[in-house]
Parts: sequence; C-alpha cells; structure tokens
Amino acid sequence: MASLDLEGRRVPFEDGDTVASALFRAGVRTFNRSLKHHRRRGLYCLTGDCPNCLCTVDGEPGTRVCTTEARDGMRVRRETGRPSVEADALSVTKLAGPLMPVGFYSKTFIRPRVAWETAERVIRRATGIGTLRTDDAPRSVPVRNVLTDVLVIGGGIAGLAAALAAAERGERVLVADEGRVGGLLAPGPARERLQALSAEAGGHDRIVLLEHHVAVGIYEGPMVPVAGRDELLRVHPGRVVVATGAIETHGVFGGNDLPGVWLGRGAARMAGAHGLRPGERAVVVAHTEEAFEHVATLRRSGVEIAAIVAPSALAGSAPGGARVVRDGRVVAAEGSKGVRAVVISAGGARERVECDTLVLSLGLTPRDALLRMAAEEPVGGAGDVAWPGCSLVEAEESGRAAGRGEPVERRPLGGVVVGGRGTVCLCEDVSIGDLRDAWAEGWRSAELLKRYTTTTMGPCQGAMCGRVFASFAAANAAAPRAGGRPTARPPARTVPLEVLAAGVHETGTKRTSLHERHLQMGAHMDRSGSWIRPYRYGDWREDHRAVRERVGVMDVGTLGKFFVAGRDAPALVDRVFPCDVEHLEPGRSRYLIVLDEAGYAMDDGLLCANADGTYTITSTSGGSDRMESALRDRIDRWRLHVHLLNQTAMLGAVNVAGPLARDLLERLTHDPVDRDAIPYPGHGRITVAGVPCHAIRSGFVGELSFELHHSRSRGVELWDSLLAAGEDLGIRPHGLDALDVLRLEKGHPFLAQDTLPDDHPTKLGLDWAVDMTKPAFVGKVALERMAAFPLERKLVGLEFDARPQRGAPLYASARVVGRVTSCAVSPALGSPIGLGWLRTVDGAFPERVQAGSVMATVVPRPFYDPEGARVRA
Amino acid sequence: MPELARTLADVVVCLAEAEALDALERPRGALPIRVAPDELLLVAHPGAAHALGRAAGAVREADGDALVTDVSDGWAVWSLSGPGSREAFMRLSMLELPNAGVVQGDVARLPVKVVADGKRLHLLVPSSWSEHLRERILSLVPDVGEVAEPHAWTAPRARHA
Repeated sequence: MASLDLEGRRVPFEDGDTVASALFRAGVRTFNRSLKHHRRRGLYCLTGDCPNCLCTVDGEPGTRVCTTEARDGMRVRRETGRPSVEADALSVTKLAGPLMPVGFYSKTFIRPRVAWETAERVIRRATGIGTLRTDDAPRSVPVRNVLTDVLVIGGGIAGLAAALAAAERGERVLVADEGRVGGLLAPGPARERLQALSAEAGGHDRIVLLEHHVAVGIYEGPMVPVAGRDELLRVHPGRVVVATGAIETHGVFGGNDLPGVWLGRGAARMAGAHGLRPGERAVVVAHTEEAFEHVATLRRSGVEIAAIVAPSALAGSAPGGARVVRDGRVVAAEGSKGVRAVVISAGGARERVECDTLVLSLGLTPRDALLRMAAEEPVGGAGDVAWPGCSLVEAEESGRAAGRGEPVERRPLGGVVVGGRGTVCLCEDVSIGDLRDAWAEGWRSAELLKRYTTTTMGPCQGAMCGRVFASFAAANAAAPRAGGRPTARPPARTVPLEVLAAGVHETGTKRTSLHERHLQMGAHMDRSGSWIRPYRYGDWREDHRAVRERVGVMDVGTLGKFFVAGRDAPALVDRVFPCDVEHLEPGRSRYLIVLDEAGYAMDDGLLCANADGTYTITSTSGGSDRMESALRDRIDRWRLHVHLLNQTAMLGAVNVAGPLARDLLERLTHDPVDRDAIPYPGHGRITVAGVPCHAIRSGFVGELSFELHHSRSRGVELWDSLLAAGEDLGIRPHGLDALDVLRLEKGHPFLAQDTLPDDHPTKLGLDWAVDMTKPAFVGKVALERMAAFPLERKLVGLEFDARPQRGAPLYASARVVGRVTSCAVSPALGSPIGLGWLRTVDGAFPERVQAGSVMATVVPRPFYDPEGARVRA
Repeated sequence: MPELARTLADVVVCLAEAEALDALERPRGALPIRVAPDELLLVAHPGAAHALGRAAGAVREADGDALVTDVSDGWAVWSLSGPGSREAFMRLSMLELPNAGVVQGDVARLPVKVVADGKRLHLLVPSSWSEHLRERILSLVPDVGEVAEPHAWTAPRARHA
C-alpha cells in the first residue's frame, strides 16, 4: 500500500487522500504550532486558505497539506515546535502572553541595540513555519507569456460557466484553477453539476483548462502572473473573470483555534469526501442553510450531533434528532490538546456542552483579494466571490453573465460581530485583545493597525481574518476611511520563492566583440552595469605597470558612441553641452560634462568635431542610454534638423595607452600619429593593421593614449595585431581593476561611483569644463543661481596614512563631514590615495580629517603628473 | 521542433526627414523597416550594403543632410523556423505576431525587431546583446534545435500586410 513518511513514521494512505486526510486517518490532530504562542493548531478550513496545516513537504516549507494530494514516498515534517510539534517546550510562551504584547519587537529590543543581535537569533529559531533549504542548487522557474481574450480564475461552477459563455461568443479562454477542478467538493449536487460543466469545457476547442495553476495577483494591463508547478505564466488577457469563491467566515471566541474547531465545509469534506469522522460528538453552529447539509454529512459518517446553535430564523428548518439552541452564541471552546467542551450563551444563560468537535457555519466571506487589487482593470467577479452564499443556479447565472462581459454587481457584505476573546489572525497569532491594546495605543486606522500588529500579513494574506479585522476597525473608527479593509496586494496566494524570482536572471549582459578573446587570455570577467567586462588579467598591478611604464591595451567597446549629423548639429551640441563648441576646430576634441536642467552632472565623455560639420560623441559605458535620450529629447523639442546615430553596438574600441603607445601604432600604420597629426586633445582617421580606425586621444588614464574606434567585426583582428606587434615592448591588456587605480592617480572621478545625484561641476572641481560665457546651455540658469551660494560640499583628493575602507566616513571635530568614495594604494606614488566628499566646518573645508581609523590630508588633484605632460606627449 | 540559426544580413540605416523617407523608392531586394518617422532600416543579404547605400542615397535629393550608413556590424539576426517556432516565440515575448510583417519591442527583456514570415521569425538585436539573446532562447525554449552553420538572409516569402 502506498505510504508517506511523517517524521520517520510510515503513514499509509488511500486513493483520493490528501496529505492532511492521510495524517488525520493515522491519528494526527496537531498539524503545527501557532507563530508566537506555540498553541496547537489542527485542521480548520480544508480549502487551502488558513495557515493551520502548513507543513514541510519534500523539503518545501509552508505547504498546505489539506490541498496537497498524497503521493507515495512523500516526506512530511511538522517543523514548528521544539523539540517537536507534539511536545513543544516553547508553548510556555502562551503563559507569558501578557509579557509579549503586540508590537513586542518594536518595544522590547530598542535598547541596548546590541541586545537585538542576540535576541534576533533566538527569535528566529523560535518562530517561523519551516526551514528554507539553502544548500540546494537554485531551481530556476521559466516564464512564458500567454495571450488570451479572457482569463477565468477559479474552475468552479461560476468560473466554468463564464468560460463556456465567453467561448460561445468566439473568445479564447484560459481557466486557471489552483487545484483539481472539483477537488474540494464533497459528493452532492454541486459536484455533479461541476462535473458536467467540466466535461463540456474540456471538450471546447477555445477553452484551455489549467489545473494546479495559481493566480498570484492582478497587475495593470491587466497582467496576471499564474504560477504552475514548473513554470510561471505571464497571462495578458483582454479581461479577467475572478471566480475564486468564498470561504466560511472565521469565528472569533476564546479557544477558537483549538484542534477540533472546524469550518463547516472542512468538516463536511473530511466526512463526505474522505469518509473520516472529524470527531465523535459535535456542536454545529448554523448561520447558513448549508450547515444543515453538513449535519447530514457528519451524521452519515457516524458523528453524534450534540447540539445545533442557530438563529431563530433558521432554527425551524434544522434537522431533527439534535437539540437546537436558538439565538445562541459560542463564547468559548475549552480543552488543552483539543476541544473537550463548548460554552454557549443563549438568552442570558450559559451552558457547557461536552464534545470533541465544533463545526462553524457562520456565513461566507468572499475570497476576493484578486478582485480588490484590480479596481481599475477590466476585471469582474462571478459566483460566491460576488454573491457569497449564492445558490448553484445563481452561481451559474452570474458566471454566464460575467463570461459575456456583463457586469455582475457585488452583493454588500455585512459586518461580523467582534467581541470577547479569541484569535483574529491565525497566521500571525494576533488576538482580539491585541487589537484592542494596539487601538488604545493610538494605531487608529485599519492600515496602521495592520502594519503594527501584522494582522492579515501572514501566509493566508487576510483570507481568514480580513473581514473580522475590518469589522473591528469599522466598529472602533471615528472616520469611515479609517475602518475600511486594508489594500489587497500580491501575492494573493502562497507562492514559492523561486516563482517570485522567475525571470530575474533574464537581466541581460552585453558583450563586446572581444569577449571570447578575454576568456582565452584568462581574464577575470564580471558584470559592470549591463556589460560583462574584464577586471584583470592575472595581477592588476602588472596590468597597471604596463600602462605607466610601457604600453597597455583595454577593451573600451562598451563606451557610448554617437554620430551627430545634419545642418543643426553644431547648434545641438552647443546648446546641450556646457563646453565651448564655437571654437572647437575640426580634428580637435573636448572633455564633455553632461548636465541636466538642474545643473547636475549626469554623465561625461568626449566631443570630437569632424571636418564635415558632424560630431562624434562618446559617453561612459553606463551612460549611453541617458546620453541618447538627452540628445533625442532636445532634437525633438527644439525641432532641430539633426540625425543622431547610436553607434555603441556597431563600433568596437580599444584604448592603447602608455609612453610607448605611439611607437606601437607606428609599427602598424602608415598614417602619421605624431603630436601634430593627432594632437591632444584631438582625433584623426588612421588605418591600424589594415583596420580603419577613428583614433581619439584621451587623458583618462594619465598617459599618452589613443582610443581606436573601429567596426565591431574587425575587433579581434585589431586586438590580436596590437598584442602581437607590442610583444617585445612588454604590452599587456588591462581591465577595470587597473583602470580604477590609473584614473584615481589622475584624480578623475568615476561618475556615479564618486559622485552624488546633485553634483554640479563646481562641487566636482570641473569648472574648467564649463564655459559660463556661452549664451545658453542645458543647466546654465541653475548653475548661475547656485553660484550665488557658498560651496558647502566638494569632491577632494585625499592622501591617507594607511589605506582606509572605501565608504569610510570622514570625521573632523568629532563630526561626520564626508565620505571616502574611492581609495587605493597607488603603485605609481607608493602611498594610499583616494577621492572623497567633504563638507565645510564653520564655513571652511577642513584640511586634515580622520577616515574611519586612519588620518587623511586633503591634497590637490591630480596626484600623478599634475602638469599633464605625459598625457600631452 | 523549432530551429534556431544565426542569419547573416547587411543592414543600412537611412536617417532623413520623414517626408524624404516617404518619397524614397524602396531599393529592390531589401526589407524596409521604418523604425521611426525619421529612421529607415534596410535589411538584405550579406554583401548588399554597398549597393543598398548607393540606392538609398537617392534620399539626399529630398534631404541634403540625410545620413545613409552601413550599420551591419550593429545588428545580429537570430532566426527561429519550422513547426512550433511561433509557440516558441510566446515563451520569449508578449508581442503579438502578425503572419507577415515587422513588430518591435521586448523579447527576452531585450529591444528586438521581429520580422515575421509565416513560421520563420527573424529577431534583429543590437550585436552586443546577440550572445545573450541566443542563450535566453536556448534556455527558455527547451526543445529548440540549434543549427551550427549560419544562414544568409533571404527576402521574406510571405506577403507583408
């Protein structure tokens, strides 16, 4: 016989068993422990809504075993409780309840702060609903996009009726059900009707029925992520019909979470579908006619009905054979391991009825989280979710209407009576008393109360407690807005983390044409922005030394590269960029700082004037998209006759730098590359090793250097020729690690690494790159206004006594006055240097500061070759 | 089973005033993709760029500043073909495919221009994303078969809408 394993014990099961029914048959009554007070929890809803049956199944924590079909060899663990769920030493915390008020963490571990580190470890072990396996190989969930006319969520009677009605109109329909269609229904007329609809829908060629597919939420579009067992569907429907049904309303009274307290449909399902008696002797609270069906089902399975508690209006139709308590109210369920008696109050008197089972049919609460998160989208409800407690005929009728795209008005829900004692939020273990205390402390709106008490924020996402919670807030709130239901947000149902992460690995990586070469040369490659780039080839100090003493090459194909043509091209660059464009001769170039309207530095690069009135612009590797949108925006806004071509992908670029850079190029070209032919700062067209190149002198690394821009398809050829021709010169490639230090020695900031979003050129020490005599450029007005204020913060060069941590705070007069943004031990200078932010102290910039635990002196930049003789060579 | 192959193609861009592009006679043998009012891409078989550039240079009659350039190096083309190719595409993108024609947008989170030609789909992607797109297709479409030898671009067979 098939069996599953419960904590080392063999539990046989029968066909049609869920894990929960198999365990229940084997005598298991406690399925887990409550989050804070470690109270025993038993089966309650049996519809996959409440948190009471969360166990770890085959390593997957937080699995609802009441809707998980039993499979041979399954391993099930109840992970709450130390040492075990049946003997939980931590259940003493329920005695200490008064010492653990709501808001416990916020109140208790504030001071001293170090206490939290210890406390957190203890609390993390004591709470939670399972242990994540962190040693497994990560499972990646593929994502599939699905287009459909109609998405129906929920394969019940209303859902299938909606699907058929839509399909009959010629629409393509996708039906997603989180379990098996009809899997939750006990035998009866509802199941028979559902089977008929399901057969009809299954045969329809425009209906796709997906079982075990959970709708996670509804996003604008609408877009509905639907989690299957091994994939995530991004469904893009024309419209959505939510037919997720209703759950029986959670009852709140003392002992309401004891094992043996059942929601009516749960008890009926255990008895009717699995043939298992929920208990021996039951009290049934019947606020719905459906409850009387449950009474019959329970009786058939052999349960003795001790009493039926019903309002007068229904009491007359109660089945005979049991005592009926008219207009009674359950005040408490008593017992320790499970229910032993129920206290009922009726007509001012209280009575105690001995029983082991309490069945609650208090009315229906729509499972409407999806409906509530989609107020502005073409989303409608059908069946119980719109008309809770509707008949079979009504369910089908509303489903057909919704399927035809007609609106189904939602029937208003009454409040539920909230008073006395008991657990409101089963997931987070919040009692009605906790809510009262929090309200008294001043958390007086539903949204605040939710955040403070974490009610509705557990695995059931308010499915059980949401309505009770809203009723509590409504009853107490002075303003109506303060009493509403908190906003519904995804996920509506529990989904595994890998489903939430589905698609994140899609973040792309761009590659240059030299990618394979870098790998062959043993480069350490990693992401840098959206590119994957070499960081070093062996020891970065060797890479660095080649540039300073001999010659080095670096793949800079990642740089943003633009070509600007058209008769208004000069006007565009003059009006966008802050540098002097008017006097820029063809063949010359300028350092470019790109400002936004607020005068803040967005990016930097080079501007090269070509002979035919066109321009070549480079930007940083990460800034090319920003540069393109900034330029296109101005071209359109100013209606300029300019053609902008983004050449970033089509051009490769190699930077050849070092005192021997020119010697190397002369070996590979017949074109002149001397200071007159290609001066600094300037550029020219040359052919290197047969590859046509645009050679741009640049100063970033502080040596004689030529950026060779070339057709991407010729990149490997050029790279190989350079390395081969420079072999006897001691050429080496270098990556970002060496570059970081080379430019730091030169005092150049890396935009975004060394800068803040509100840096204008003066703060960066880049005033020289801005021509304030120009009539206009983007950001000029803002710069003029800011110039009227004294400078309070600037980027400075720092020399340290020893190497600090990057990001270390800078102190002066015991105050934090800045931060180190870059630092390294400079091989060229032999000492630790860096860049950092500094604020004024009493109107002046400090000259000596403490960087974390080391001392630093503010020094002028650049650190290396301050006259720039090497760059201009 | 869908097949994935690299397609070699030449691409020429014409940047010109919208009216000038409207008036330009489409060079024979090239697939025109009007990606923006002032930007036209011409896609053709390898080696065609030079002739295409000359033919498209006629646009300068209407817009003297027009820019016509060979941008073949900036584009990579991956082609899905055979049975299941359109279903495979659904795993990559939410774009609705015409039977024949061009759509542009998000494919595997990349900016892609898709040329639909019945069961043959050409995905044009900036060349720096080429390898990434190939890897995404191979991992998202488990039953795809990769063809090692690249194909040369041929004009779409299906009639364009």
